[in-house]
Amino acid sequence: MSREALQESLSAVMDNEADELELRRVLNAVDDSEARATWSRYQVARAAMHKELLVPQLDIAAAVSAALADEATPIKVSRSPWRSLGRLAVAASVTVAVLAGVRLYNQDEITGAQLAAQQPQQGLSVPQVQGPAVLAGYSESADQPGPMANGVLQGQAGWQDQRLPGYLRQHAQEAALKGTESALPYARAASLENR
Amino acid sequence: MRALPLIPLLLGVWLTGPAFAANSSTEAADWLSRLAKAEQRQSYQGTFVYERNGSFSTHEVWHRVQDGKVSERLVQLDGAAQEVVRVDGITRCVSGALLAEVSSVPAVPGRVLDPLKLMNWYDLGIAGHSRVAGHDVTIVTLSPRDQHRYAFELHLDRDTGLPLKSLMINDKGQLLERFQFTHLDTANGPSDTQLQPSDNCKPVEQASVEAVERATGWRSDWLPPGFELVNSSVRKSQNGKRTVSSLMYDDGLARFSVFVEPSGEGGAVDARTQLGPTVAVSRRLTTPKGDMAVTVVGEIPIGTAERVALSMRAQEAQAKQ
Repeated sequence: MSREALQESLSAVMDNEADELELRRVLNAVDDSEARATWSRYQVARAAMHKELLVPQLDIAAAVSAALADEATPIKVSRSPWRSLGRLAVAASVTVAVLAGVRLYNQDEITGAQLAAQQPQQGLSVPQVQGPAVLAGYSESADQPGPMANGVLQGQAGWQDQRLPGYLRQHAQEAALKGTESALPYARAASLENR
Repeated sequence: MRALPLIPLLLGVWLTGPAFAANSSTEAADWLSRLAKAEQRQSYQGTFVYERNGSFSTHEVWHRVQDGKVSERLVQLDGAAQEVVRVDGITRCVSGALLAEVSSVPAVPGRVLDPLKLMNWYDLGIAGHSRVAGHDVTIVTLSPRDQHRYAFELHLDRDTGLPLKSLMINDKGQLLERFQFTHLDTANGPSDTQLQPSDNCKPVEQASVEAVERATGWRSDWLPPGFELVNSSVRKSQNGKRTVSSLMYDDGLARFSVFVEPSGEGGAVDARTQLGPTVAVSRRLTTPKGDMAVTVVGEIPIGTAERVALSMRAQEAQAKQ
């Protein structure tokens, strides 16, 4: 069986246009790693064209195969014509699982740009505090309710207006004198004067 | 195979080891140790930005270590030319705007960052590597182990251990402040002329010892775990009418101050405000000494500050003052 014919069949299966013969051909090649790689590449190309989300290297088939391999072999019953049929059923269900899986993951709406940014193995190891490391992720604390608003005092003006600036300044300056990191408390103190 | 029965024993020893071992990386602790030493050993000059909610400023710093003596000059580059010059931990001069309430004598020598102590209150970790101001940095994270403090992310120069970037982050993951170098030169220490204060840097008169008493007659019934009293003073206000007691607490990284003064004319004193990383909470307190206004100011969550404000008590022995 030629490579080209197999690839054509793969393409047809993916587009849901395969006939009986092509489906058989693909199912026969399901153990062929090269064919599977081709299948995987086609999926990526298809997802990119349709601007769909694809989980790269999602290989349900391999996982299913591995699980099957680990399974204790059932006691061999008498050879019967059902056996080959059963094999076919397993292979077919694997294909269905792959197709269903891909379809499931493709349901999320996502733009092409985000797809391009997707890389395998990323997004898992990002620590929680790294979000705000980029300015784009900077959420202003001004959206907090009421008294937390930016520098606005709760309660009546007057007493606080006289005292708080002095207290803030004194705290910042004493912190600057006590701290090991001297530049940061100094900058805090200086920023209070810039209002 | 004869060693096999030993495994549970070894496992037990490992598990009952220091409590922090499970949460903090020793590599991060090593980096913090380097940071603690870097400021005392490394000369540098550079520019940095400071950003908090509602404020963004740029500054220049000259830092020289010579014969174990640290000289430092800081100048704000935009807006008012605010300036501080310090030699050996003592503030020599400050510019006008900063002058108001400064005291030049440190009550206790500057505290050194102690990773072992910090591990009790923060989980230390390494978040990876990056670049700041053209230098390769290691990112050390300090995540609070309770709700009484904020998280920090420190980007430390891989060559010198200097902090090139520092972020303070609240429990919702919001950035409260950013300190970040944009240029740093560690190869050439600053010259004498660069460390020379400019004309608008006014010399600080040494606060007289009488004016600053150590005991304040106040203590807190409740403190967030790990916070210790590092400084306390009683001070007369400029016009001499008010007496303000101040106490400063820190957990090795975060700090807050408590100010206590008579609340006077019975006006409303309850107030809460937040300026970027710094929160200020005022509460009226009825005590044997009369109505007092307690104000907590510091880089701690507002709920914690409020609880501290409500926990201040007059010390009985001092009540007769």
